[in-house]
Amino acid sequence: MSANNNPEREALDRLADSLIDDILNASDEEILEEFREDGGDPEQHAAEMLALFEKSVMTANKRRLAEAAAAAAVDRAAAVSRPPTPPIDIDEARRRLRAVRANPNAPEKLTLAARNESELSDADIISLMEDIFELGATPPDDSLGTP
Amino acid sequence: MSSQAAIAVLSRDEIQLAIRSLTSAQWARLKAVAKRFAFGRPIDPNDLLQEAFLRAIDSRQCPADVDVVMFLVGIMRSVVSGEAEKARNRPTVVMSAVVDEQGEPVDYPDPSPSVEEDLIDKENAMLIRRSVLALFDDDPDARVIVEGDMDGWSADELRTYTGLDKTAYDSKRKLIRRRLNKTYPEGWKP
Repeated sequence: MSANNNPEREALDRLADSLIDDILNASDEEILEEFREDGGDPEQHAAEMLALFEKSVMTANKRRLAEAAAAAAVDRAAAVSRPPTPPIDIDEARRRLRAVRANPNAPEKLTLAARNESELSDADIISLMEDIFELGATPPDDSLGTP
Repeated sequence: MSSQAAIAVLSRDEIQLAIRSLTSAQWARLKAVAKRFAFGRPIDPNDLLQEAFLRAIDSRQCPADVDVVMFLVGIMRSVVSGEAEKARNRPTVVMSAVVDEQGEPVDYPDPSPSVEEDLIDKENAMLIRRSVLALFDDDPDARVIVEGDMDGWSADELRTYTGLDKTAYDSKRKLIRRRLNKTYPEGWKP
């Protein structure tokens, strides 16, 4: 709690630090006794403080909800402005996957993935082709409507 | 793995549970600390506590081995310190002789703290210091202890200087705390 260029404030901060140390080192009995001496009811005060805390929890929850709603709104806006994905020709995708499998220069992992092409669903094929394109193993083909 | 990554921290739910489980003595202790932090500053102790709660459940990490009261006290210290820093660096708009293309004067933020605010804070702090010391005019040992605290003396130095043994010294510190609480139950009022 230092205060640049204000020795009076710094002196008060040092006094506050010492008094806070005293409070933290005092026993529970001393703290309660002093609280009562000042006319306070510790139980009632605890209930009030708990209510203040619950209010803070509600404020924090509302803030998080508002942030989540704002993030969702940004996502929705981005989705609306994104051009629609062109339909993928699944037959062409399967043909290209078979071509990958037949390519002797393709990495072993790719040929293994492509080996069971006939057992894969259309969704699996599309996902696999997207992975392959991402790896740069075969260039995206506009006719497929892939990325 | 760094040593920091290995430190276990309480989850948000665990922090909330720990705060909800505070005893009336712990709540009273927290309020007493908040009052001391807020003393002589333009901040209400309850507002300070509420800000500490918000930061505790929203943005701060509480190591599992740290007492939640100490955790909240640390946050309050950081809030007060941050507010003081902000006040010192608050930019103010100043008029300048510079004009824009239309011939209108251009105002720009002054990066230095307001001289007027600085002066007010200094005068206020001086007044509080004098008033607090005057509270102990009738008790030279207590006054020496308060003055020593303000000047950063250690407990050992103060005990040696006053010649008080540990019990008498502790009792004098309690007297100082109680007199301040009684005189300024709602914090500093000029």
